[in-house]
Amino acid sequence: MNSNLKIINLEKVNSTSEVAKDLALRGVSDWTIVLGNMQEKGHGRKGEAWFSPLGGLYFSIILPKSNINDLQTLTVLAAFSVAQTLKENFQIEPLIKLPNDILLNQKKVCGILTENIIMGDKTLISILGIGLNTNIDFFPDDLKEIAISLKQVLSKEVDNYKILEQVVASIKKQLEIINQ
Amino acid sequence: MNLKIKIKGREYDVELQEDKDKVIVKIDGKEYIFANNGETSQIEKQDNQSEKGAKILAKNNNIKEIKAPLSGTISEIFIKTGNEIKIAQKLLTLSAMKMENEILAESNGKIKEILVTKDQKVKEGEILIILE
Repeated sequence: MNSNLKIINLEKVNSTSEVAKDLALRGVSDWTIVLGNMQEKGHGRKGEAWFSPLGGLYFSIILPKSNINDLQTLTVLAAFSVAQTLKENFQIEPLIKLPNDILLNQKKVCGILTENIIMGDKTLISILGIGLNTNIDFFPDDLKEIAISLKQVLSKEVDNYKILEQVVASIKKQLEIINQ
Repeated sequence: MNLKIKIKGREYDVELQEDKDKVIVKIDGKEYIFANNGETSQIEKQDNQSEKGAKILAKNNNIKEIKAPLSGTISEIFIKTGNEIKIAQKLLTLSAMKMENEILAESNGKIKEILVTKDQKVKEGEILIILE
């Protein structure tokens, strides 16, 4: 693992975003990553559940303070970062369903959600959460027609840490470009 | 709440405690106290790390209106008319620009009127809540 990344790796967590928000409010530094091996209450927009068993890649990044418009742009660019990482590593053609989802074979493989805490006109905390179906063998009946994992597509396991490193590096780069 | 966190391969024991008007975070025995004394708030800590929490528990500035910081849709409301609220308390969630935004109270006060309902679309600058 890249030693430059600050990763808080939790075995089981309600939601990596919840923990990241909590830590950010307590002063943990920007770009700290909360990585959960599994989530009990992983969620997407409007609280929709995100299936998060062991094997998948679930992480949230504490973002540096940014303009709210830049954060929206970053959410979209984060999808590009994930899609690009998947394409380069596995020679697959992910489809970005703007702004939050990435599809493979018309099924959801990744969800991205930015959550902000705002007081007055100031954005105090921004958390970028990513749930990526990597090494998941199967989905429950209600999801198997709409969700898919890399393992199902590639018929092999992938390296979650390597994907994490590459995605975070790409997101950092994107934010630098936005801020220029 | 007790957590074990791993940073760069090292494991830390973290204990979170809420005690009336303060939150105590113990990391490997080191104690960090986040206090809110009403008009102004501050963090007492044992080292020189910068703390976002200090900025969040900002000075009470007697704000009487809570406005939408951006256009979007009200997805959740956590308070009711007549509720006493404290600075930094979560008031509502606004889904906007494909992001979820928690709106916090800027000051202590009492809710006089809530001008919006769940799923209502609002415009940037629109008044959402009036405090007494």
